[in-house]
Amino acid sequence: MGMFDKLAFALGLKKREASVLVIGLDNSGKSTMLNHFKSEDQRTTDIVPTVGFNVEKFKARNVGFTAFDMSGQGRYRSLWEHYYHDCQGIIFVIDSSDKLRLVVAKDELDILLQHPEVRNRRLPILFFANKMDMREAVSSVKVSSALGLERISDKPWHITASNAVTGDGLHEGVEWLTNQIKENVGNNNK
Amino acid sequence: MGEKSNSSERWLTAHHDPLASLYTFGSCMALADLHGDGDSKLIIADLGTGAYNMKLKVYKGTNLMSENTLIDLPTGVITFHMDTTEPRVPAVAVASGSYIYIYKNLRPYFKFTLPTLEVNPTEFDAWNQARDELLDVSMLYEILDSLRQEVGECGLTTRSQRFLMCHDHASQLTFLEQHKGFLLKRQTVVTCFSTLKKSHAEDDAISCLVLGTESANIFILDPEAFTILNSMSLPSVPVFLCVNGLYDVEYRIIVACRNGQIYTLKRGVKLGRPTAELTSQPVGLIRRDKSIIVATMDQYLYSFNNKGKRLWSLKLPAPVLCMESLEIRTLGLTLTALGLADRRVLVYRDKHLVDTIHTQDNVTAIKFGRFGREDNTLVMIMKGGSLLVKILKRTARFEVEESQGPSQAVAVKLSIPKKTKLFVDQTMRERENCVLMHRVFQHDLYRLRLSTARAYVSALDTSSNPVSLSQSEPLKLSAQVLGLGPTFKLRVELQNTSSVTPSLELAVVFHCDDRIYTVNQSFIQIPMLVPGIVHVAETLVTCISELGISDTVRVFVIKGKANRPLLTAVINMPVAEVFMAT
Repeated sequence: MGMFDKLAFALGLKKREASVLVIGLDNSGKSTMLNHFKSEDQRTTDIVPTVGFNVEKFKARNVGFTAFDMSGQGRYRSLWEHYYHDCQGIIFVIDSSDKLRLVVAKDELDILLQHPEVRNRRLPILFFANKMDMREAVSSVKVSSALGLERISDKPWHITASNAVTGDGLHEGVEWLTNQIKENVGNNNK
Repeated sequence: MGEKSNSSERWLTAHHDPLASLYTFGSCMALADLHGDGDSKLIIADLGTGAYNMKLKVYKGTNLMSENTLIDLPTGVITFHMDTTEPRVPAVAVASGSYIYIYKNLRPYFKFTLPTLEVNPTEFDAWNQARDELLDVSMLYEILDSLRQEVGECGLTTRSQRFLMCHDHASQLTFLEQHKGFLLKRQTVVTCFSTLKKSHAEDDAISCLVLGTESANIFILDPEAFTILNSMSLPSVPVFLCVNGLYDVEYRIIVACRNGQIYTLKRGVKLGRPTAELTSQPVGLIRRDKSIIVATMDQYLYSFNNKGKRLWSLKLPAPVLCMESLEIRTLGLTLTALGLADRRVLVYRDKHLVDTIHTQDNVTAIKFGRFGREDNTLVMIMKGGSLLVKILKRTARFEVEESQGPSQAVAVKLSIPKKTKLFVDQTMRERENCVLMHRVFQHDLYRLRLSTARAYVSALDTSSNPVSLSQSEPLKLSAQVLGLGPTFKLRVELQNTSSVTPSLELAVVFHCDDRIYTVNQSFIQIPMLVPGIVHVAETLVTCISELGISDTVRVFVIKGKANRPLLTAVINMPVAEVFMAT
């Protein structure tokens, strides 16, 4: 990286680019969550189940994010692994009101962590314990223990309780992810 | 142990509630999207204690969402679409006693009553006379008792059956006083029920109800008017139903009956056609595309085709408590799950065991289908009342291992040729002269053994073996032929195999037919042989015969002036290459 680029970044003149992968089970609120980051006029009012995947772009703290909004339906989950290589961060969305399928989310997380493209990289993973507004939702601590997040020792991770409809908690989480990605990029350039 | 780890690889335990205190059977469970929100609920008709506390329970995910009290013991629960109103939510039908209760949006909607049966005239008269006090209690009891001997317990009304259960005079009298004022009715009860799509095959098309009753009838009900569209009869009481097809087009109902027979009913017939006879009473019935799978009380699993021909049977390790078909659409597979009395659930793909799930208690009811938002969910109710929900992993596969036991080998038919006349004659001859043949065989065997022994002895006598076994000179000889000819090099390796004693005065002598070979050095003196050291003696042998033949060369190891060699090796010489070329 050239001297001028560094200077430009330091002054915040030039944007950094990062691609993140948004995954999670179906009906966990991935598209709703990304919808919230869009500008006011681009937002859609009704979210339908994603087929395949969608690519969304948004900006947070001077970093331009390209988000791959993957479909969470069982038959499309095999697509996820094809995008592990190109991403700098992963957002894993969990429906914390669906207690029955927490175990499925854990299984998918285990498959993710075991994947050769992910296992040896220090990919930051952001967990959204979504649908916190629901009456039967469990706390983010419980979600964290149900998914066994304490086992992840070789990657930075963070869990945030969120409500994708109102946007509560989303910015806090993405801020953490931005910092992590910046740090990673900084380390790689040294 | 291997199976145990397999099952944990395929199934995720999503929910386990040991205190659910459910008492139910597979027929009293259903999975359906009751609210049209894409979230399937679990509907369970709980038998309570078996006498009271019967409830219709609905689970949304892990939570109990609603409870409706049932008046009598439920025998079955089914969800079906009864109209075309939007949103497309199914109605719940609960069979209980002589009634079918229909719930819409989990509220009671309709009650269907089975048609009453004809009361035996003698029984009718007896009760009428008792009511008018022309007959006293003990007389009534005697008349009904003799009638019971005549027509059987099932031919009587429930009132008479209850009355005959009262043994002392006082209770009989109170029973009569309580009930004599009411009209005598003979009702039958629903034993099993299922659904049949009316005119369209879509998942959310309108379905008719198919009922099996204690009076050995099958009724098909119209879903809108609740009238009996069709009534068929069977020789015995139906206990399990499998229905497929469309009511308006063509349908087939397969019924397993209490007499251990399977009957088939088709559109247009009034009487069940016997299809297959079982060795014992059925405990579960599943229908595949072209076959029927039945589990029986004598621990067997049978498969029949639609015509009733037995395709295969399987002895199970324990009694079967429940049976369920697992249709996994993502894999395009239909499996059979059996809950056994040894705390296991076995999963079969056709007749191959592909998975075993170990549970803490005996599983009495299994239901497989879409629960919550997960398609492949297995809901199990234990004998102790606990509820266990398992989800099939996305990566799970059910491959049949090809090397799985003798069942494969048995299936392969040996290609046995036809019996010829010669074969038959030979068999006859063998059967008649078996003693003589055996003797001849034994005689020849002894002679063979004798000549073998003689040859061995003579070989030992002439020391014509390459390893010396004598205690004084233990030697080992090995010979090699090198070269292509006509001149060969013979290489003889000698080794003293004793531990300490050296061998002295040894020599190697080559002997051959002098018309074929000439040996360069036919006598080689061997120096003292130290134990363990290999000594090599070499000589050239030239083939002088022009006939292109080969012969043997004998190698003797001799000691001093002894007239017998210690060792002999016979070397088969190869054909000399030069002569082969010419």
